[in-house]
Amino acid sequence: MSIDLTFIGQIVVFLTLLVLLKKYLYGPLNSLMEQRSAKIAEGLAAADAGKEAKAKADVEIAGQLKEARKKAQEILAAAEKRAAEIQEEITNKARDEAGQIVQAAREEVDAEVNKARMVLRKEVAGIAIAAAERIINAELDGKRHSKLIDDVVAQGFGNA
Amino acid sequence: MAQEEHGAGGIADHLNYWSYKFDDSNPFMQIHLDTMLTTIIVAGLLVGFSIWLSRRLTDGAPSGAQNFMESVVGFVDDTVRDNFPVHNPFIAPLALTVFIFIFLMNCLDIFPAFLSGHIAHLFGLEHYRQVPTNDLNLPAAMAVSVFIMVLYYEFKLKPVHFCKELLLQPFASLLLDAKNPVVKLIGVLLIPLNLILKLVEELAKPLSLSFRLFGNMFAGEVIFLLIAFLLLGGGAVGMATGFFVGLGWSIFHMFIGLLQAFIFMILTVVYLSIAHQPAEH
Repeated sequence: MSIDLTFIGQIVVFLTLLVLLKKYLYGPLNSLMEQRSAKIAEGLAAADAGKEAKAKADVEIAGQLKEARKKAQEILAAAEKRAAEIQEEITNKARDEAGQIVQAAREEVDAEVNKARMVLRKEVAGIAIAAAERIINAELDGKRHSKLIDDVVAQGFGNA
Repeated sequence: MAQEEHGAGGIADHLNYWSYKFDDSNPFMQIHLDTMLTTIIVAGLLVGFSIWLSRRLTDGAPSGAQNFMESVVGFVDDTVRDNFPVHNPFIAPLALTVFIFIFLMNCLDIFPAFLSGHIAHLFGLEHYRQVPTNDLNLPAAMAVSVFIMVLYYEFKLKPVHFCKELLLQPFASLLLDAKNPVVKLIGVLLIPLNLILKLVEELAKPLSLSFRLFGNMFAGEVIFLLIAFLLLGGGAVGMATGFFVGLGWSIFHMFIGLLQAFIFMILTVVYLSIAHQPAEH
């Protein structure tokens, strides 16, 4: 164990190795690791940004969903209201029509009744005249008394 | 492997280097070929591995070797970042090199203590020390390199403050704060003492740095040799005991090797970070 020329040789070996390792081992590895950590940091930032965007989109979607639900509710309510209206309209219309039909029927019946009444009146008048003629024929002039009888008949039916 | 080969002399024998002497009279003028060869091979393999790895790097999900090296680089980066007041792109690669290189060197201790010697004998060599961190030259070379870097940054970043500290610490108050001219004179006279104290303080850094690593690894190897020498002789039982005791020590020694690599790295970072500390007044 003595210091000799090996010492000089070892300094040369050590410094050479230092230069070579810096160039071939440390340099490439270190720059690579820095590059990678930059890449990872970038990736993490991107992931964070993505997460944020997703949260934002989630909120937006929830809002839109809420709005859509509200709108659907409104549409449904409007439709129900309209349906009720239509139903009422139809009911009213049907009631009106029924009323009209009843009215028409009633009028028709009245007209029939009147018609029948007229026919009857005429027939009764004729019968009455015929009867009165027969009764009175002997003694009364048909023309003179027919007005009198018509009056009586009209009076009678008018009261009926 | 006969018993009589081994003994107290055997351990010292195994602690010799395969060296080449340029000048027999001057002990400095020799070079440890085993240390040089091993470090160059390991460094070469490391660089080869790095080039191979750098070609197949992916910035997607890493796997296998890349994953492992990334965790090592990340660990070193964190250590540097925790200790450093300012950013210096040179420090982390330095710490990484120190850590990996020393760790790989220490790992060579996993091979049986006599193996490299026996292989060397096959090639006709007398000695071969397999763990270069056991050779004081390697820790010293790294520690001195680090020390020179520390001095470089001290002078580059805060030259005035560093020179002032060199000359005036720890007895600065005698010269700067005292009103009495006699005390001031004493302060001036103490400048050489300050310089010596500060130099000792500074020189202790590379010395402790290198000797800590060297001492730990050297002691580890000596203990391997001791285990081998003391237990290997007793037939099958001795072999088995030696194997298991050696295995236990190997595992523990691997831990020490990792720990020492880490300590060397973190002290390197700390010394350099002290040099980078902004001067306080």
